Amino acid sequence: MSLIQIKGLKKSFQGTEVIKGLDFTLEKGRCVALLGPNGAGKTTTLMMLSGLMKPTTGSISFTDTKKGEDIRELIGYLPQFPVFYEWMSGLEFLSYVGRLAGLTGKEAKERSLELLQLVGILEAKNRKVGKYSGGMKQRLGIAQALIHRPQLIMLDEPVSALDPIGRREVLDLLEVLRKETTILFSTHILNDAEEVCDEILFLHNGGIVESGTMIELRERHQQAKIDLYFSGKTSEYIPYFSAHKLTNSLMYEGNRISIFVKDIAAARQSFLLWISEQNLPLEKFEVSSMTLEDVFMKVVGK
Amino acid sequence: MSQWITLLQKEIIEMWRNFKWIWVPITFILIGVQQPITTYYMPQILDLAGGLPEGAIINIPTPSAGEVLFQGLGQYTTLGVLIIVLSTMGIIAAERKSGVAAMILVKPVSYFSFVTAKWAGGLMLMWFSFLIGYLSTWYYTGILFEWIPVEDFFQSLFFFGLWLTVILTITLFFSASLLAPGVAGFISLAVVIVVNLVSNTLSNLLKWSPSQLTGYAGEILLGKGIPDDALPASIIAVGCIIILLSLSVVIFKKKELAS
Repeated sequence: MSLIQIKGLKKSFQGTEVIKGLDFTLEKGRCVALLGPNGAGKTTTLMMLSGLMKPTTGSISFTDTKKGEDIRELIGYLPQFPVFYEWMSGLEFLSYVGRLAGLTGKEAKERSLELLQLVGILEAKNRKVGKYSGGMKQRLGIAQALIHRPQLIMLDEPVSALDPIGRREVLDLLEVLRKETTILFSTHILNDAEEVCDEILFLHNGGIVESGTMIELRERHQQAKIDLYFSGKTSEYIPYFSAHKLTNSLMYEGNRISIFVKDIAAARQSFLLWISEQNLPLEKFEVSSMTLEDVFMKVVGK
Repeated sequence: MSQWITLLQKEIIEMWRNFKWIWVPITFILIGVQQPITTYYMPQILDLAGGLPEGAIINIPTPSAGEVLFQGLGQYTTLGVLIIVLSTMGIIAAERKSGVAAMILVKPVSYFSFVTAKWAGGLMLMWFSFLIGYLSTWYYTGILFEWIPVEDFFQSLFFFGLWLTVILTITLFFSASLLAPGVAGFISLAVVIVVNLVSNTLSNLLKWSPSQLTGYAGEILLGKGIPDDALPASIIAVGCIIILLSLSVVIFKKKELAS
């Protein structure tokens, strides 16, 4: 069941095309990561979906909207750098946006307290937002995106600005939220996307270069790869491996050599034999699976 | 409607928390009241300051109460306007610049309500401050000179306040159209000065210009009754307010919040 359909979405700023035609569908109940390097157009895409920016051409249509309904009722949005009225307390701000989104005063207050509890800043509810730390503002930002129980929440780089502990907590929070609603979040951190999401959209230079679920991506990009770790320098062994008849291509970095091979079983036997014959200082031998980072590097074309 | 009230409430509370409800009325009182007081004590002030040759006779004709109160209004056309522009110029521009406007407007909030609630909040502050300030000026003029009829006071309050409302709306318009509060304030002041200059130099041709309302308020205070041109000038002022306010909404909606 699709929630939102995007067709031919383009955006230009002063003649420069930043988003060069996006087509994708978000399924209900999925958690989708919008992944891409800085400047790929992630924020611009989310802003167009939230209605803060108008697309130059293309359409964004929600399946569930009745005619004349404001799409903003269906979405919750957390910008990359959330800002609040600093003179309000956290509770006041949440109640305020809750009432603006159509809740009664009482409902807004109850919902605000519930969300402050959920995001873990209940004890700071009466403190002025101006005195909140960066992590607390990020959590308040997530809470305000959820206030009117939207069908889709969009988070722009929700964890990038946080320290490791804050990042962990927000990721855990996303794990909880994904059971209840559809989530679209942008990030340039591969691990976060891999951890929380079912589906990934790779954005690069304003276009989707690859998309699919983690499993689909692995299958599509899986290559037989062997990682060898040595103690000390690897450069003197490179010629042997690169000239080997089973080697397709080869990368090396520090004490590691990664070799893409034609046949894992044959290569394993042949490499190990040669290593033991030469008595090379091998530390670790690994038949590795494709990581998201490899896919990323591959589709981005480096 | 309840959303509009929520937005207005926020404006009122914000102006309370940043003390606008205190400093703007007090400034209006000070600006107005100093006029009757300095006029009344002028001979003594000159005397104390000294520097006049022995035996010189200072003969300052005592102005009428109407003239004094009119001069008080004159202070509002300069300093009062400055206060209104300064306290209004960031009303939309500052929120958009900081990004908090985007936080609010991703919620199902109507752009019309957002702009008009801010306008209404500004209007409340302006009329409250002007009423308090002008009332104090009227009171001191009454004590030190003569009492101006209450009816004349309220009539002049209305016509003059209408011109101040036009100024407030001009400032709101530029605050909605521009990103920098300072620039919005500067341009608003420039527009008000130009309108004043043009209306004053071509006063015969532009009898219905809203800025002429200041003069008409003065004529009421001098006991001349409501001038014939005051009504059409008021209608034009209301027209300007409606047009500027509508344009503010349209431009604000058209401008992208994220830039």
